[in-house]
Amino acid sequence: MREEHHLSSLVIHARPETLDQVVRRLEQEGCEVHARIELGKLVVTLEADGQRTLNDALTRIQLLPGVIAATLVFHHVEENALEEEMSA
Amino acid sequence: MTLSRREVLKAQAIVAASAAAGITAPAAAQSIITEREKTELTWSKAPCRFCGTGCSVMVATKDDRVVATHGDAEAEVNKGLNCVKGYFLSKIMYGADRLTKPLLRKRDGVFHKEGEFEEVSWDEAFDVMAEKFKTTLREKGPKAVGMFGSGQWTVWEGYAASKLYKAGFRSNNIDPNARHCMASAVAGFIRTFGIDEPMGCYDDFEHADAFVLWGSNMAEMHPILWTRLTDRRLSAPHVKVAVLSTYRNRCYDLADLELTFTPQTDLAILNAIQRHIIKSGKVNTDFVDKHTTFKRGNPNIGYGLRPEHPLEQSAANAAKAGGAEDMTFEEYEVFLEDYTFEYASELSGVPVSRLEELAEIYADPKIKVMSLWTMGVNQHTRGVWVNNMIYNAHLLTGKISEPGNSPFSLTGQPSACGTAREVGTFAHRLPADLVVANPEHRKTAEGIWKLPEGTVPDWVGAHAVLQNRKLKDGEINAYWIQVNNNLQAAPNMLQETYPGYRNPENFIVVSDAYPTVTAQAADLVLPTAMWVEKEGAYGNAERRTQFWHELVPAPGEAKSDLWQLMEFSKRFTTDEVWPEEILAAAPDYRGKTLFDVLFANGQVDAFPISETKDHPNHESGHFGFYAQKGLFEEYARFGRGHGHDLAPFDAYHEARGLRWPVVDGKETKWRYREGHDPYVTPGAGIEFYGKPDGKAFIFALPYEPPAESPNDEFPFWLVTGRVLEHWHSGSMTDRVPELHKAYPNAVVYMHPEDAAELGLHRGSAIKISSRRGDMLSRVETRGRNRVPRGLIFIPWFDANQLVNKLTLDATDPISKQTDFKKCACKVEAA
Repeated sequence: MREEHHLSSLVIHARPETLDQVVRRLEQEGCEVHARIELGKLVVTLEADGQRTLNDALTRIQLLPGVIAATLVFHHVEENALEEEMSA
Repeated sequence: MTLSRREVLKAQAIVAASAAAGITAPAAAQSIITEREKTELTWSKAPCRFCGTGCSVMVATKDDRVVATHGDAEAEVNKGLNCVKGYFLSKIMYGADRLTKPLLRKRDGVFHKEGEFEEVSWDEAFDVMAEKFKTTLREKGPKAVGMFGSGQWTVWEGYAASKLYKAGFRSNNIDPNARHCMASAVAGFIRTFGIDEPMGCYDDFEHADAFVLWGSNMAEMHPILWTRLTDRRLSAPHVKVAVLSTYRNRCYDLADLELTFTPQTDLAILNAIQRHIIKSGKVNTDFVDKHTTFKRGNPNIGYGLRPEHPLEQSAANAAKAGGAEDMTFEEYEVFLEDYTFEYASELSGVPVSRLEELAEIYADPKIKVMSLWTMGVNQHTRGVWVNNMIYNAHLLTGKISEPGNSPFSLTGQPSACGTAREVGTFAHRLPADLVVANPEHRKTAEGIWKLPEGTVPDWVGAHAVLQNRKLKDGEINAYWIQVNNNLQAAPNMLQETYPGYRNPENFIVVSDAYPTVTAQAADLVLPTAMWVEKEGAYGNAERRTQFWHELVPAPGEAKSDLWQLMEFSKRFTTDEVWPEEILAAAPDYRGKTLFDVLFANGQVDAFPISETKDHPNHESGHFGFYAQKGLFEEYARFGRGHGHDLAPFDAYHEARGLRWPVVDGKETKWRYREGHDPYVTPGAGIEFYGKPDGKAFIFALPYEPPAESPNDEFPFWLVTGRVLEHWHSGSMTDRVPELHKAYPNAVVYMHPEDAAELGLHRGSAIKISSRRGDMLSRVETRGRNRVPRGLIFIPWFDANQLVNKLTLDATDPISKQTDFKKCACKVEAA
């Protein structure tokens, strides 16, 4: 099996009253939460070392209590390690 | 500053997601600005190839392969977002079993119906195919050839197919799989407004105060539109969401009002709403007087079964299903008298208080309401009626054709609107809402096509379900299927579909990218180029036409449907397929090939290849002219000046789509409303100009029972549908490993108490049977779909669990669309 690195970002809509709980559960799924709007919106990134891991996580995220919609924005996959340096 | 590639990509990901969410990105991420070029990829725009939402995606190619996709931030539809299906677009073309060569069933080196598939050249494939079509046309005439196409055809593919059949072979036996999906919506629009497709657009999502879902699991099937709806609901707390369905689905997570109803009783609920609007004095009298007419629709119209079926024999108006007579408002009020909330509640199982709350959403003049529906309404033996009745609620209150007040029919396929409906690839239609039964319309088509009078036949061809019946009965013998998996998709598979494919009198051709169930049952399989392997155009649910360029070459010898249609037409001469009386009256057409008269006609071949501006284009390279542009410009002549105006071809390669009618370079967001729609007569305010007097119809239509209901022997309602991870039959999505792993096999959603009563539990192996067939599966009592007692839900994507062995081929008698949402079945341990 080839080694793959997946990096993706998502916008998550959740019921406002469940936001704290959703954030906690997302972090347990390995997501990093980068931005939050109290009306019920989150920006998160999710990284995974395999297609299956990523997809299982995506399915679980969509079905988390309180999550209304989980939508992908960015997805990058490559076979090489992502740690090579580049200037920005 | 030196960063790891990972940090750069992550910052990109955060910035993109924040922009899409309308959130300011964290400063740390913002400060990292990267160049696309650094990833050495070429990016282009293309509409997503999956559902009817019409999201625009950015597609990255490298070394002639699609390697990545992401939501297009410049697209109004999806504003940078992308759903799970769209997210895996880069992989759908690269399944291991992709077809790359024509395959013909052969024995001892020649075609044999019972032979094994062998690779053949395109020449041999078309030789055999042309011989079969010619023999059939010669011996039995145009009614014995047929084609089943798709709402996934590009605009020009559907147009070329329609032209080849209706004008070339002179057969109207061409129908798209959109018949299974949208036909009731189409007939609903034509009946109420006289012109197809929604008056509003997606901008309505940001203006509505209430959303009512009538049989649409948007959360799973239209995730991007669901995100827009969710955004509106969460950012404006006064907004309400009402969800009607026959089982609990993911949309209920956002619902303020849940209405789970017994199948078929939506008819009674809608009448109770209209009754409430009238009884509570909430009719918008001024609007109703000026802009509507009342009609009593024919009742007792049957169920679209074979004519000898007892249900058809006892249906008084089976032959006049679409008929209606004039009535007054007062008569309409009397008609509704029986439909009290109590009666609707008794039939539907929905508590009276919830029905009242729903009715008040429509009645209250201060609430702007958007109604949304898909297959729950359309796949219904009274689907046209339900469409008409949803419009009734909007028309009685005048809540229509303005931002936020919007009855909105969603579509399932990427170009159900753009190709199937606008091009008119149905058995009864021509482009731009023209119909074959109207002599003036045929004349218009023959004029634009530069063909002799009488070329287009006047008979309505066979619709989807009728095609299968005629194949089984040996009446259609030469048959071509493109871009769909109809053996798996069509109802009552074992009794009505499969027998026709294997009928020894018939020759079945399937063009596909993958060996679907349908392809495996064919005699000849043609390998097909898909999505960005060709230049294309789709039209989405909000009348938005979108283009894309060919970005990568197709594998092996795969060719687009367009190439196949045009190349095949070269093998026929007019003398072989047209009758002597047409040729005698138009001798210039003698001896020409169908390619000459249909495509090399001075119009389709009017634009040189140089206008492709160096974009790859395998069809144009082959034929020697810019085929897509020529076909589009000829097609657009049907609609320009007639309410269906399309912009010039080149404009669409620049824009992120434009919503027709496009007049003087300006798209139209809300039709029929002065100030938004240039076709409304100045001073009219509102004008439903699809009807000669500018007035829309409000229809009186009763509750009538379904074709088949549960009984002691078959005690469960069977509902079929889709799941998020698989789109339609799964012929593409099953090739994407991630999607397949997420949801590898269909399961049967069942109420835990029903399961317990049968001695079953979650995961139990079961046999499900109906009067027509049986299948094996497993019980699911948890998960995203929660069904009520007495009802089971089975997704239909799984080629190993063919649920259409169970379904009934009952259709709406007006639209001829199958009801996949209700028949009777039983469940037992396997």
